Parts: sequence; C-alpha cells; structure tokens
Amino acid sequence: MDQDAVHEQIAFIRRAIEEGRGFIGARSPDMLVWGVAIAAGYLATYASVRGWWQAPPNAIWSACIVPPWLYSLRATFSRQKPSPAPRPLPSLVGAMQMLWFGCGICLTSLAVMLLFTGEMRRGWFEGVSAGILGVAFFASAALCGLAWMRWVAVGWWLGQTALLALQGQPEGSVRVGGAGPRLAGAAGRSAPARAYLKSRPASTCAMYPCR
Amino acid sequence: MTDYDHSAIDELLQSRVRLAIVAYLASAREAEFSVLRDAIKTTDGNASVHLRKLEEAGYVAVEKRFVARKPQSRYALTERGCKALLAYVAHLESLLPTPHAERARKSRAAGEP
Repeated sequence: MDQDAVHEQIAFIRRAIEEGRGFIGARSPDMLVWGVAIAAGYLATYASVRGWWQAPPNAIWSACIVPPWLYSLRATFSRQKPSPAPRPLPSLVGAMQMLWFGCGICLTSLAVMLLFTGEMRRGWFEGVSAGILGVAFFASAALCGLAWMRWVAVGWWLGQTALLALQGQPEGSVRVGGAGPRLAGAAGRSAPARAYLKSRPASTCAMYPCR
Repeated sequence: MTDYDHSAIDELLQSRVRLAIVAYLASAREAEFSVLRDAIKTTDGNASVHLRKLEEAGYVAVEKRFVARKPQSRYALTERGCKALLAYVAHLESLLPTPHAERARKSRAAGEP
C-alpha cells in the first residue's frame, strides 16, 4: 500500500466518522424541546408581568419545565436492554440524552425550591436557567463536533448576563426572552442538516471518539 | 488465544463496506439497519452480509425489536470493534513516514548532503 492509498484510506475513515457524528446531532431533539420550553417560560413570565395573561409564575414555570423533563425521562427509560453479548459501548447519543436530562433535573429541582421559598419572584431564575442552557449547548457542541453550536451557547450566556442585569425591567427582559426561541429553534432546526457538513476534527481524540 | 486477535482484524476491515460501518458506528455508536445502509450507500443484501460478518467477529452488537409491528435491527459498535478500528488506523499511520524521515527523503531528493 503506497502513501497515497494510506492517506486516502484514512480520509475515508474520517469521512465515515464524521457521518456518524452527524447522525448524533440529528438524533438529539432534546436541545430543541428544552430550549423552546425555557424560552416559552420567559415570554409567558413577561406576559404575566405586563398583565396580559393572569398566570402565576409558579404555574408558568411548572408548565414549561415538567413536560421537557418528562420527555427526557421517557427517552432515557425507553431505551431497551442491550443484547447479552458482545456488549455495545456506551452510546454518545445516550451521553447527549444524559446531559439534557441532567439539565432538566437541575432546572427542575432549582425551580421547585424557588417556588417553595418564594425566591422565584425575585427574577434571577430566568438568568440562571439561560446560563445552564448555555452550558448544555456548549457541551453538546463538543460532543457532536459542531463548532457553530458554541455560538448558540455564547448567545445563551449573553442572554443570562442581560437577564440578570435587567432584573425588574420587563421591556428589557422580553427582548432577551424573545431571542430564546430563535436561539433554540435555530439550533434545533439546523442541527440535523448542519451536522452532516464536513468539518475537520480538531484533534485525534475528536476523530476517534471511541478511544 | 487472546480476546483481541490482530491477524483477524486486517482481513475484516480490508473491506470498504465493513470499514465504513465500523468507522460510522465509532462516532454514532448505534444506528438502525436502514440508517447504516443509507450511510454507506449500499444495498440491503450487501449491508446485511457485511453486518453479519462483523457481528460474528464480535465487532458489532445487534439488538432486534419490533417498532410499530415492524422488525428493526439496531447495531452498536462493541469494545472489540472499537479496538479493531483503532488498531487498523494505527497500522495505517505506521505505514506513513515520520516527519523526520520525510525531511530526510526530501533533502536526499534535493541533493543535499
């Protein structure tokens, strides 16, 4: 086998690995579900503060957090037992599910505690939840090898900063909250398509994720 | 005989279809038969034959189930399959000259002492 053939063979393996990585991106709707739910929570809270919709924040956030939490829970427990032998490796798709499931647990437990203690009214939960989503998108970007998704995470972190800075100002908060659906929706919609785009992995570790 | 038989690896992964399946599953980790077939752009029969060989070698694990009354086979890369791919890539890389050897070859070609 000459050098050109070796290079060609390695390039072939690299392409196949990138195709597989794109498959993961396409199979991770959790990010869309969670992003849209949290963004809807922001907008509903704004509507409540403005008096357009008479709904208590507790009910709004319960309605926005519990369904995606159940969605992640269902996806986790609906996975069937693997065949006895040989044992498959832990799935990267599973890692993505666990990541978003973990975010769900974190947001839910935080929200429940804030509801009980009455801290929800102070308005910092929106900013913190945006930060947690930023972390989730950032980790998803690393897992899927999608560099562009890091900018979605940056968007959520900017939103977190703005929300915390604009506490008590509904007009400012709604602008930030309104960006949420766009950030989440854009990521969720374009992930399946963009994930298939060819991008050179940054390191050997990224190229051979099973190592 | 050890669990990891190096002599069998090259033979199995010399097929482009099998190599593509293993490399694809290395990142996707698990995928349905139809997804694999479409990803490697081959026919049902061809994909089935190669997947069976990989399954017999213990490189992939298959889980068969019914989804909406239709049979579905879900394949996942095993640890053995992952090691085989890494060993194959390492073998390929060993065939390439090291940067030092490449510099020496170029300087020889350029007529430098």
